[in-house]
Amino acid sequence: MFKAMLLKEFILLWRDKYALAALFIMPAIFILIMSIALKDTFGGDRALLSYAVIDQDNTAESAKLRTFLLSNGRLKEHKEPITNAAQRQEALNGKLHFIISIPPGLAQNLVKEQSASLLQLDVASDVKQEMLTLVQGELVLGIIRLRMEKIQEELAPFLPDVAQKLEAMKSNRDNLIQVRFNAMGINKKPTSTQQSVPSWIVFGMFFVIIPMSTVFINERKQNTLMRMSAMNISVPVLFAGKLAPYIIINQIQVWLMIGVGIFLVPLFGGDALTLGNSIGGLFMVSLGLSLAAIGTSILIAVTADTVEQATTIGGIINILMGAIGGVMVPKFYMSQSMQQLTNISPMSWGLEGFLDIFLRGQGAGAVITESLTLAGFGAGLLLAAGMILNAKMKRGI
Amino acid sequence: MISIKNLVKHYNNHIALDHINLNVGKGVILGLLGPNGAGKTTLVSILNGLIDFQEGEIEIFGLPLSQELKAIRKRSSFTPQSLALYDNLTVLENLRFFAGIQKIRGKELRHNVDYAVSVNRLDPLLDHKAGILSGGQKRRLNIAIGLLNNPELLYFDEPTAGIDPESRTSILETIRSFKNDGKTVIYTSHYMPEIEKICDQVAILDRGRIIRHGLLDAMLHEEKADSVVIELRHSHEAQLHTLAQKHAMLKVIDAATVMMDEPDATQLGAILAALEEEQIDIKQIRYGTTNLEALFIRLTSQGNCDV
Repeated sequence: MFKAMLLKEFILLWRDKYALAALFIMPAIFILIMSIALKDTFGGDRALLSYAVIDQDNTAESAKLRTFLLSNGRLKEHKEPITNAAQRQEALNGKLHFIISIPPGLAQNLVKEQSASLLQLDVASDVKQEMLTLVQGELVLGIIRLRMEKIQEELAPFLPDVAQKLEAMKSNRDNLIQVRFNAMGINKKPTSTQQSVPSWIVFGMFFVIIPMSTVFINERKQNTLMRMSAMNISVPVLFAGKLAPYIIINQIQVWLMIGVGIFLVPLFGGDALTLGNSIGGLFMVSLGLSLAAIGTSILIAVTADTVEQATTIGGIINILMGAIGGVMVPKFYMSQSMQQLTNISPMSWGLEGFLDIFLRGQGAGAVITESLTLAGFGAGLLLAAGMILNAKMKRGI
Repeated sequence: MISIKNLVKHYNNHIALDHINLNVGKGVILGLLGPNGAGKTTLVSILNGLIDFQEGEIEIFGLPLSQELKAIRKRSSFTPQSLALYDNLTVLENLRFFAGIQKIRGKELRHNVDYAVSVNRLDPLLDHKAGILSGGQKRRLNIAIGLLNNPELLYFDEPTAGIDPESRTSILETIRSFKNDGKTVIYTSHYMPEIEKICDQVAILDRGRIIRHGLLDAMLHEEKADSVVIELRHSHEAQLHTLAQKHAMLKVIDAATVMMDEPDATQLGAILAALEEEQIDIKQIRYGTTNLEALFIRLTSQGNCDV
């Protein structure tokens, strides 16, 4: 019986090219695009912020400050000729993030006990606060280095030992602090692929809503379900006949997306996905997600009256769960209240589970809660769907 | 084969079946007739265990329906009016799927599929997707699916709805042939000629009650065949009711059909003149209509029924 149901679902899906595209091609493309698009955000190899310097001081000190800024790979100086307010405004309207103005007399003002502002920073209106903080920090650090050099110069004739010590303390900024991301090697960073793949796997798995509800509503409308019922197929058996093939389809999706992350993304210049340490944990989360996605699909399919309703409602629910669940915008970018809100989305539970495996290198034990919550959610929806379908069938709907 | 005693089914305050009593023997083809809303589909759905009922007793194959539903279903089949099949599966895939879910396997599967295919002349269509079949071919596949478990009892709900006359004749011949195999058939339809052509017995349902049940030949023998049915081109419900009040012998069947029992020339002339006066266009006048149709109309015409 299950073999017949399994085969039927696979044939129907195989012959529905749009459903195949929604289930397999769309999330694969998402993974590819997002991994490559966000590569620089997570990778740190390319400059993210552009700025120009109006250097009215033109001294060795101002040149040193500019060289220091250039040593930060995230910043890139543009040689924009900015001589008046109009040019300044135009440059900040899309071309540049910052304009750093160095007024005359920097060298003298560096060592004054009380001085006015040493620099002026003009900021484009779309610059995020954390980026501004980064640039301010770099400028303060640059000025402190210049001040130390000045002090070193002044001390050298009188206290050569101290001056020498100060010289010896100069070091590359990267050597000062050892960075270690959670569950990763020293100075190794999570890549954009590692961040993107879990999100789009979760999102893609929930896309079973559309083909599944389409088939189910057609079965309801054409009385195929009623016919099956007259052939002794009960609602639990009917649901089981849907669960099995779509769980397999979801697993194919998961491994296909992982394959895209491992093999395809590097071909396009992105970082390859690494699997983490727990294949068992991966299975647990993906099974929980399958149940949640299939439960949602069947509940929509039994409550909607038409295929159009189901696909519209399914699409909206999918996108809303994705937006709330941190698939589209990573959770850590969200405000505190929004981060709390993510907890209502099953996509967030699945995503956290996958991130535990892919990003945080945790084992199956760490994802038990997420997996069981997802499975319980799916089972609850299936139960509700079963009760609604039974009631509808008894009324002959 | 089927024994129904005092069957009652109601939806909230609406009585769908009102103390139905019916016995159908083995090898009988029973035509279940009735206007829309008479309770035909409700009765067939109950007999297939698809909906519950409130009162009464039903036995099929000598087994109580409530306790032995699974066993009864294994020996019967239901072909719904809608095309309950998968458009994206081929004819053979549809047959194998519906056989598979009934746990029909191996030799039995091959034998039953061959039987369903040959009886319904589907051999040249096995590799065709159901979605591209003609209406008649889809109907034949719909019937073939109902034969997969080699049932002793078959229910057909309007199996020829919306198809061409040639396909209809073919399907009726197929259903008639089941009698030769000793199968029992419950056949619901609105087409009187179909019932007359294939059924041995007829049960007429109206407003949830069986108002006549018996052998078709005996019922037709009793029935006079000299009634006149006048079909109108458009609906004139209010005018027809006014006319019926003036002319006692005029019975309103629906908004576009009236009937007269044994009218003489003067009475018929008066009615036709009245219709003309009201500027009501006549589509056709049928004298001595099909006997079953006349009986059916007479029996169900107490209210304003949709035939």
